Amino acid sequence: MKLLQVQGMNKRFGGLKAVSDLHFDVDKGEIFGLIGPNGAGKSTTLNMIDGSLSMTGGKIFFKGHDISGLSPYKRAGLGIARVFQRDVLFDSFTVLENVLTGLHLNSNLGIKDALMPFSPGTRKKEQDLENKAMELLDFVRLSDRPGMMAVNLPHGDQRSLGLAIAMATNPDLYLLDEPLTGMNAEETSFMMETINKLRDNMGVTIVVVEHNMKAVIGLCDRAAVLDYGVKIAEGTPSEVTADERVIEAYLGTEQDVVSS
Amino acid sequence: MDSKRLLSIFGVLLLIVFSFAIAPFLGNPYWSSVLIMIVINILLTSSLRTIFILDEVSLGQVGFTLIGAYVSALVVMELGLSFWAGLILGGVASAFIAMAVGYPFMKLKGIYFSILTLMTTEILRLIAYSWKPVTGGQYGLTGIPSPNPLTLPGIGEINFSSMNNYYYLALTIVLVCLFIMYIIEKSHLSRKWIAIKDADNLALSVGINVMKYKVLNFTIACFFAGLAGGLFAHYQGLLSAGATGRFGVMTTLNLVIYMVIGGKSKFSGPIIGTIAIMLLMEFARPLDNLRPMLVGAVAIIFVLLLPEGIAGLPVRLKSIGKKYVSGVLR
Repeated sequence: MKLLQVQGMNKRFGGLKAVSDLHFDVDKGEIFGLIGPNGAGKSTTLNMIDGSLSMTGGKIFFKGHDISGLSPYKRAGLGIARVFQRDVLFDSFTVLENVLTGLHLNSNLGIKDALMPFSPGTRKKEQDLENKAMELLDFVRLSDRPGMMAVNLPHGDQRSLGLAIAMATNPDLYLLDEPLTGMNAEETSFMMETINKLRDNMGVTIVVVEHNMKAVIGLCDRAAVLDYGVKIAEGTPSEVTADERVIEAYLGTEQDVVSS
Repeated sequence: MDSKRLLSIFGVLLLIVFSFAIAPFLGNPYWSSVLIMIVINILLTSSLRTIFILDEVSLGQVGFTLIGAYVSALVVMELGLSFWAGLILGGVASAFIAMAVGYPFMKLKGIYFSILTLMTTEILRLIAYSWKPVTGGQYGLTGIPSPNPLTLPGIGEINFSSMNNYYYLALTIVLVCLFIMYIIEKSHLSRKWIAIKDADNLALSVGINVMKYKVLNFTIACFFAGLAGGLFAHYQGLLSAGATGRFGVMTTLNLVIYMVIGGKSKFSGPIIGTIAIMLLMEFARPLDNLRPMLVGAVAIIFVLLLPEGIAGLPVRLKSIGKKYVSGVLR
């Protein structure tokens, strides 16, 4: 079953064509890679799927529904979660509060709860949320320091927390923007393990933007390669890495080497 | 409950008792009127800080307090409603208008939001200044009655035309408002506001309807600004919308100064800042028209040396103390 369908996606910034006529489908339960050199339009594509950027043209279908015009919070409600590259977490919050904020869609706290913080009903709701949050922190191995300020976590743990915030929305589709950048070897292998575990245990679908080819080959079932906003290849990681045009985009042609 | 929390609750209760006890001690209507204005301004500055949770500086709180003041005065004078109904209706009218303009306003951020709210305040003031049949135009509204006497069991009849008693009334109302604001600040609502301030794109991506919560913030803040206006109207007995009066630009700027000097990141900040600066202004009366300069100098000193304001002083002292102690030990 096709979970996500991108049809004829276009994005123009003034005269610059950031993404041109992009088509791809993502099946339920697969890890799909969007790869390409810097500036290829990968993050732009992700921004249009989660709704934070509007498309110049094209359509996006999620679970068969056209979501092209929906605002980001509505897409989150339908089951699309985004992990950003920069705004990974909320700076003012502790680790636990970050995940509690992520649980917004699963909480039924209303105005009444805001005005009656000490009522048993509100207390119970908040306790339930806290328990849920601790479970999620357990999954990313952060349950040992829920009270720590999130900005004081090491880089790798911050990225894991970002994943836990996304998990809190209970999504069917994750959009991960370069989840492995700036990580050391140990952090990288833990993150790859976690992403695989997420898919295997919960049956979710993941679209991951990455420019590290090695990581992609270890993680993805299928991948599409972008260059200057155009899809130049699609297939299994071993297929696309063997593709001549992909090698050219990454390394340049033999002629380039000779002339420089 | 830990001992630190008990101590701070005890401290707050002590302050409340003190603020009730001080009026008869000072014993003259002049000081009572100063205290009334302090209390009203505390509510107004706190409403400013509610919006500042979103990291936006509203220069429009004076405009919304104007709506509250005129609506509250007019429904009492023209429709014969009670002070209490007037007060609430003033707040509701202010909140309603805030909700109506909230969507376009909250689309803007930073300096653009500040300018827009400032312009709105001036427009509202000019409407009040020129809409003669309703607001009395340049002559203003006069003869706004003080609240009807209240009969409390055990105490007897309280007459609010006395300054002292009106101070008690205003203090009680403002304390109730502050309590509600404090509860909201500790609730999941303010967690969402802080999340939006930190990273609105991440807040959207976890399904938070950012615009809805921002407009709600603005509406709540302006409700309290409206209440402050009602309190002001029935205390003054007359309202005018001249450029140098209560609803002029200077009041707006003073509110921002109270908040910054008191400490913008703490709930207690606006309360401390308003009391400190308004008392400073009172005691500096002999300086006459040099007083704004004094306040300016104080503001500059705070921004440079203690940007977290008076409310941030304990933390600052603690860190200085720690540095000193570790220096001695080394």
